[in-house]
Amino acid sequence: MKTIATTLLSAVLASGSLWGADAAVTALKVNSDLSTVSYASDLWKKATFSSVLLYPQTTIRMNDKKANAMNAHNKAKKAMVAALYNQENIVFMIRWPDSTVNVQKGMSTTSYADGFAVQFAGNFSDPNALPYIGMGSEGRPVVLHLQKVAKDIYEPNGNGDVAHQVNRNQTDLFGKELAAFDKKVASLGSSDYERSFVSEGFRSMTEIKDGSNHSYARIHYLQNKKSWEGTLSRALKDDYVNLNAGAIPVAFAVWDGEKMGRDGLKHLSAWVSVKLQGMQGGEALIKALDTKLTGDPKAGKAAVAANGCVGCHQIEDSDAPNLMGPSLRNVGGYSTAGYLKESLLKPSAAIVPGYNRNAHSAYPWYTLDKGVRVSTMTDFSWLDEKTQNDIVAYLQTLKAEVE
Amino acid sequence: MSKRQLAMVMDLNKCIGCQTCTVACKTQWTNRNGREYMYWNNVETYPGTGYPKNWMDLGGGFDAAGDLQPGVIPNLEADYGVPWDYNYDALAGGASFEPNVEPTWGPNWDEDEGDGVFPQDNYFFYLPRICNHCTNPGCLSACPRDAIFKREEDGVVLVDLDRCQGYRYCIAGCPYKKIYFNPKISKSEKCILCFPRVEQGLPPACAQQCVGRIRFVGFLDDEESQVYKLVHKYKVALGLRSDYGTQPNVYYVPPTESPVKFDANGKIIEGSDRIPVEELEKLFGPEVHDAIATLKAEMKKRKETGESELMDLLIAYQHADMFRLDNTYYQNVAKEKGLNPLAPVDTRYIAGKYTKTAHRINFTHDAAAAAGGHH
Repeated sequence: MKTIATTLLSAVLASGSLWGADAAVTALKVNSDLSTVSYASDLWKKATFSSVLLYPQTTIRMNDKKANAMNAHNKAKKAMVAALYNQENIVFMIRWPDSTVNVQKGMSTTSYADGFAVQFAGNFSDPNALPYIGMGSEGRPVVLHLQKVAKDIYEPNGNGDVAHQVNRNQTDLFGKELAAFDKKVASLGSSDYERSFVSEGFRSMTEIKDGSNHSYARIHYLQNKKSWEGTLSRALKDDYVNLNAGAIPVAFAVWDGEKMGRDGLKHLSAWVSVKLQGMQGGEALIKALDTKLTGDPKAGKAAVAANGCVGCHQIEDSDAPNLMGPSLRNVGGYSTAGYLKESLLKPSAAIVPGYNRNAHSAYPWYTLDKGVRVSTMTDFSWLDEKTQNDIVAYLQTLKAEVE
Repeated sequence: MSKRQLAMVMDLNKCIGCQTCTVACKTQWTNRNGREYMYWNNVETYPGTGYPKNWMDLGGGFDAAGDLQPGVIPNLEADYGVPWDYNYDALAGGASFEPNVEPTWGPNWDEDEGDGVFPQDNYFFYLPRICNHCTNPGCLSACPRDAIFKREEDGVVLVDLDRCQGYRYCIAGCPYKKIYFNPKISKSEKCILCFPRVEQGLPPACAQQCVGRIRFVGFLDDEESQVYKLVHKYKVALGLRSDYGTQPNVYYVPPTESPVKFDANGKIIEGSDRIPVEELEKLFGPEVHDAIATLKAEMKKRKETGESELMDLLIAYQHADMFRLDNTYYQNVAKEKGLNPLAPVDTRYIAGKYTKTAHRINFTHDAAAAAGGHH
């Protein structure tokens, strides 16, 4: 693609310092078509890369014994993120370290693919009441775009048609037809594994299959840097999200196939503020996502101990794993201060669904009151504000070190 | 728990390990499209490694407190075995007979080996296994995508391939390792209890084809069904490894008939039994003692008096009696729900609960008609 340098607004205007806090990522405005931008585009030479930390998901433990052992001591990963946008589209590039290339192999039951996902909030008008970072929460939907490294996938019509069947044992009778069929598969079979989903919390994730997601993702391995480079382009506005704002919350996740990564076995960021350069507004969001609460973590730790939080939550690595509630081991890594405070004061505002309720039936994370989920956690709004802020400040320190 | 539960009973005294069930299942469902290595129905030699290899040691299921236990996902090469075939076509041209893959492991690798010392006390029996369509399925509880569901109408456990993302936690969660990963489509697949046949009043292919007529199929709440009689009335059919806590719905009549043992001099040890009862207890729980006692007593009664309903059941005279399926029931369910075609399906997500109205796919008869035909 031809570089259109003149269309890039001057980086001088990009600073968020006008508002006292810098957005984590700044999206530069360009005039070029962004609908199918990949890692190969020259446009990225102009973009500014900011670091985003990705923490191992430890809120719930998956039931895969081998994978759990492999991922028990994961550290955080440092990714570099840049963004561009124009009238219609916004495109992100994320580059993250991964020393191995992993693909879902053709005939294997135990191989897993590397990949990444970018998550957007359905509604971010109140920056202190964003959807739960782990795939949204009830009434607070998120849209996710997932790109995994893939070899050719056997889908005869490239449409996920898994019902199409041919009996390969009948080669004598149907040799010609089979050859024709294989040719058709080769031409129509998809070699890409790109999916878009809408989700309101664990297990509710549903694929958007009608093409209304208007996204384009690509992934590419940098052998010399031992890193993946992924790009995602999507419409600024579709049926699910409207990103025409001064700043938007975005979250990133990456999977490492070498460590059997898939689903919850991943690294994820907190909601990250992305400033759309030149667009008005967004100050409140940037402030909410990027300023730290001025609490005293030491006093917070004491308050957490005094209030018996460890009865239900695994808090530090040294605490025993607990099925009663979300593990907080990395909560400081992938949660915002706003979310932590909201959960402390109004536990039912954004419910973490937790495990399948049948998997650990003695430990429900919520009860149902006329179909409405009510958290089983006690409401701590009776604590004085200083203690609340101290607790949040302490929780923000709970995170793995960066590798 | 579903409203009704279909169940199968397998009489292990009569299983001859002929694999006709395995072939019936394979040709119907798993000989193509990434399922080649799968055996939704297999018959393994017990004691033995089983299929997949050492499946009883791979975790899954629930502990006494009801918590799902972590498990291990078997490896294709090491635990299931890569399916191989031979170069039949090339033989006519003078080629030597060669497999296309070097066989290193597969189902029934240790067929008929069993345990003990020949001829004194060696023994084995056959254990046919399908998905247990559990009342408390480990696979369902393990799925982070709500892609597995248990049909209200008959308790058949199915994978919603539309929702399945190929994470494979279900395989770790199933203590029987009876759900499989299809690497070609990157989704999990399993025995569907031949529901398209069952809905038409036909038994699953494995049961229909069984030459030993060891398989009974029916609804557990149907007191007229032989399944009910074997499981609830006579209590001679027991779940496999019920200690896994999944409440399996395939039941087994334990093998009670085995030859006597010989001593070191080749003399018969009177009253001895080659199959150690401890092994049966491990598989079928402590209830196995009562089941064996009932079977022995009824057999004796039949010998002496010529009468025994239980023995008549186990002789399996008529398919019509062994399989009590009711396709009118399914047709009524479909009619009540306004469903067309027949198959009652998972309705939790099909209405597009989380996607916009415009993106919904509606499977009801009226909506399909309103939309101008098929979805």
